[in-house]
Amino acid sequence: MSIDTRDALRQWIAGVSDKTTLESLADDTPLFRNGILKSVQVSDLILYIEELAGRAVDVEQIKPGAFRDIDTIHRSFFTHDHA
Amino acid sequence: MATLSELTTRLCRISQEHFIDPFSRLDWPESLERDQWFMSPELLSLHGTRHFDALDEEQRQRLSFFELINFFSINIHGERMLIEGLAKRLYRKNTETVSPYLHHFLDEENKHMFYFGRFCNQYAGKVYAEKKFSVEREYAEGEEEFLFFARAMLFEELVDVYNRRMAKDQQLVPIAREINWLHHFEEARHLVFGRRIVEELFECHASDWPGQVQERVRDELVHFFDATWKEFFNPEAYKDAGLQDPYDLRRDLLADESVEARRQALSERCARTLYKVGLLTQESMQ
Repeated sequence: MSIDTRDALRQWIAGVSDKTTLESLADDTPLFRNGILKSVQVSDLILYIEELAGRAVDVEQIKPGAFRDIDTIHRSFFTHDHA
Repeated sequence: MATLSELTTRLCRISQEHFIDPFSRLDWPESLERDQWFMSPELLSLHGTRHFDALDEEQRQRLSFFELINFFSINIHGERMLIEGLAKRLYRKNTETVSPYLHHFLDEENKHMFYFGRFCNQYAGKVYAEKKFSVEREYAEGEEEFLFFARAMLFEELVDVYNRRMAKDQQLVPIAREINWLHHFEEARHLVFGRRIVEELFECHASDWPGQVQERVRDELVHFFDATWKEFFNPEAYKDAGLQDPYDLRRDLLADESVEARRQALSERCARTLYKVGLLTQESMQ
């Protein structure tokens, strides 16, 4: 289940970014520091996370750095101690 | 054309002459039956799609209640952003010309939030959460100022399209129609001010921005409009209206051709000032 979620995130990110490929994007690749995603794409990423999780993301509860890389996104939104 | 100073003086006078007290003006029914129209059917997010065709009248009316709660929630969050930004700009250096009008702007936005909030809490017991997430960053000279007023203008242009339509729709519940009318009545002035200050700020700063800053500003405004538009497709509202698989439904709707055509038509209308100053083109909004 968690592997599927990471893969789905990887595919989405590789699909919207022209700065990475599916093959080169690891679970710990920094998404914003490496310029793979831009800050204006966070809103769309949140909608995609909601779609994968099947529930709303509470934007006010998002912790700093929650979108750092795929692993952090997974930990922040798809485990029991999510934001 | 009047100077910005003349315009703000005129807008201040109109705000004083047409002062509205929403606390006593609106007649609030204790409760509202849901088998009525709250939002014009053609403005519902599902309209024009097979998902709308599959609903009966009762389901459409129930959906119209929760979509109006969503629309008012979007307004509450948008106006909170405005109030925060306007308050920060009062009596700052170089705002002497506009500060008198910022007082009216702030006062009116606060009153709008009051009636939107009361409607949501009294009749639905909730305000839907905001979906926009902003990231702190550095700005070029004048960039933050321009982006604040340009975002505010895009937001107000978009919600005003809905307000104007619903203010005239006789099939709507009276309190819903009246709130839309009141909002449109005051927003018309904010829009005149917003378009003008966006033009002035662009003229003042844009020629000093290197190409990458212009590109960043363009990108940010296009994404802001897109994110605001997507807030109209709220799975939480679909769930409350009893619709199945609300997150799949949102994905389906946002990929629908008729929904995309509606977005493009609205974006052309809302971004006119940004086309006029030469920042955006119709292609950049697609």
